Amino acid sequence: MIRSVAAAHAPSRAPLNHYWDDMVTVALLGTDRRDPPSPPSGGLADLAADDPQRTASERLLQQVAACAAVVRAGFEPAEPVGGLDPAPRDDRPVTPPAAAATWRRIVSDWPVLEDEWLVTVGATGWRLAPELVGPSLARHRSDATRYARVLVASGPLATWIVEHAPHLALRTKKPPLIELIGAVPDLPITPELQPLLRGEPQHVAGELASAFHARQLTVAHRAVLINLIARMDPGQLAAVASELDRVDPTVLAVGLAYALADLARLRGNMLAELVLPSPAVMPAVVTTSGIPPLPTAPASDH
Amino acid sequence: MFAMHDAADSRSLGDRWAIEQIAALGPRPESFLAAQPLAVAARWSATGCNEQGVWGRCSGASAEPYDTVVDHVQVAFACTCPSRATPCKHALALLILWSRGQVGASAVPGAAAQWLAKRLVAAPATNELDHDAGRAAASPAASATGQSSPDAAADGLLSERTAPPDPSSSRDDRVARMMAGLTELDRWLDDRVRTGLADPTLARYATWDALAARLVDAQVGGLANRVRRLAGLVGASPDWHERLLAELGVLHLLAVAGRHIGDLPSALGDSVAAAIGWQVKQADVLGGLPHTDHWHVAGRSDVREDRIEVRRVWLRGRASGEWAMVLSFAAYGNRLDDSLVVGADVHADLFRYPGALGLRALVGRRHDTSSPVRLPMPEHPGSGPSRVVTIRGACEEVGAAVATEPWLDRYPATVRAAPTRHRGAWVLADHTGSVPVSTVSSDITTLLACSGGAPVTVTAEWTPSGFIPLTLHLDDRSIDVGPTADPSFVAQAVGA
Repeated sequence: MIRSVAAAHAPSRAPLNHYWDDMVTVALLGTDRRDPPSPPSGGLADLAADDPQRTASERLLQQVAACAAVVRAGFEPAEPVGGLDPAPRDDRPVTPPAAAATWRRIVSDWPVLEDEWLVTVGATGWRLAPELVGPSLARHRSDATRYARVLVASGPLATWIVEHAPHLALRTKKPPLIELIGAVPDLPITPELQPLLRGEPQHVAGELASAFHARQLTVAHRAVLINLIARMDPGQLAAVASELDRVDPTVLAVGLAYALADLARLRGNMLAELVLPSPAVMPAVVTTSGIPPLPTAPASDH
Repeated sequence: MFAMHDAADSRSLGDRWAIEQIAALGPRPESFLAAQPLAVAARWSATGCNEQGVWGRCSGASAEPYDTVVDHVQVAFACTCPSRATPCKHALALLILWSRGQVGASAVPGAAAQWLAKRLVAAPATNELDHDAGRAAASPAASATGQSSPDAAADGLLSERTAPPDPSSSRDDRVARMMAGLTELDRWLDDRVRTGLADPTLARYATWDALAARLVDAQVGGLANRVRRLAGLVGASPDWHERLLAELGVLHLLAVAGRHIGDLPSALGDSVAAAIGWQVKQADVLGGLPHTDHWHVAGRSDVREDRIEVRRVWLRGRASGEWAMVLSFAAYGNRLDDSLVVGADVHADLFRYPGALGLRALVGRRHDTSSPVRLPMPEHPGSGPSRVVTIRGACEEVGAAVATEPWLDRYPATVRAAPTRHRGAWVLADHTGSVPVSTVSSDITTLLACSGGAPVTVTAEWTPSGFIPLTLHLDDRSIDVGPTADPSFVAQAVGA
């Protein structure tokens, strides 16, 4: 019945819309001050005749309920509208779903890896998965260098999105450090840990595990140890993760050892996922000179 | 088919309460909030449960811990704390722990055993009477009026806080209370349109809260939730009068339909009953006929409703093309069900709740126990029904659903359309038309990035204020862009 009433009003919604507007006016003022309008001929008028109400407020409520149901059930689209200009084409392969999942894990648990992840994506010729472009731009709106890395990894899609979603524009006037855009930034690592950056994998892993067992490494060293794992030679990661996983559970900082094992494993997976599967699809390397102009927010948004 | 009952009905062995049932027990809206900080295992010791009760010792602010026992079959509470609220926050916290599965079976300690035994002896002989007593006691109204019994149980530590014998404990009286609540709601609506929506009292949350509280007392909690949502509409947009009036109309429709539920066709009556807040036992639903299919997890949306986070997962049968909705709930610190992963296919039996649309369902046996397969949404599979529709087709699907249940406020559709802007607002458009996108809670930038200006296949949820994009179905994967629960409110899955 509701659909048939809606269909009957479909060719011209004007009487129904007009009636609804009148009812909104009456409801605003209250039926104590103004009588409800008479329904247009059709189903709504039939309802009023079939089920007469005693008071003006009851009449209005009955008609509001019926009209709301009719309008919602007769829900129709607005006229077709033109689409946006398409985003410029970018033929680089899109980062695989596993890499997108790793990015989410990185920003949630190990943000220390995000710079390397973005630099590697740009340098190896991947294109940032489109679902990561908006969140990445939003994360780095206040850091021009990282924002530029996102632009490099995203290609022209990022600029196109910012055109349509200006809230994603860069919000700082500080220029990016050009030399750092394509480079993984250094992290502070204490001199005694420096040799572990490039040692033989089993030796480095053994050294770290022994230091935990000897209580030479504790939670006080957390920051530098994270930096060490985040910057050590990738060939060492598997051995380090395996060795730290086997640290005796009775050791004081065993929680830190397990967390570092997780970091090492995640970094190893991250780098493995970002190896291009076939040289045939290797695109031209994106260089820092190819950075598009950084879209900045209007002054009023600062 | 529709069984009138409430929380107390589903208290059989192993059938732990749902979190919303516990929330409904609180004598005041704040009670459940007060209980949540206590609902951590570290605050409790000597906890245990069996088929009749759940007990534990809570370390609180006082030197002595409080001993708490809850009879979850006949719904009664005992606690050594000085609070006069029934149930107290300790009882609610214990129930929350129990509902999360954080209370295991164990031997009953002496005091609790005696208190539970005493209740067992006092309980009526038949199950039917047990359930009726439970219903009355479980109702917030009954709980609110419950008095502490002077009769010290067990070793004197536990004083019973069950509701006193209530003459209105029969089903008929409960129905009468609901009818009175519906009548009161209609009278309130009548007053509003008589005095006008410009009345400044409508801008106060207290106005809506007071009405919602009375509706909870009348055991029409579904309407209470709708009323609370309306408080946020007032003044929220330039056309708020119009939107509010439409919602008041829907409330009037439900109030009238609820009072004439016996005159309605069975399925429609079930829908009305569900909308006003009567619950159906899970066991009854699971006793129905299963609908077996390969269910595609098409979308997910999380919405905070009052003190509970509600997750809707929309499933679509690959063979039948029919929609189904699986709900899960989480109070503060609880986890939402994340077993249905967007984009995955689940070969399972689905049991639908009664109703004209029959959207809500429970997942029964899963036939494929391996990890779910993620498959893209088929556009036009062989001889099966079309899954992806045009914008006009989506409007027709939504319209047909709303015509069946005019109080419906969410319905899914999978369309192929492009996001674009029209008169300063985001819309989804194709050659058949355009519909507004609700950007309040949706991730428009991901939709935009994945489309690149071209049409994409997207599952969206219709609401009266616009479509909310939930999932983007790309060739090789599905991207979940639905509104997500606040991670500071609900617990996250490990590794999520």
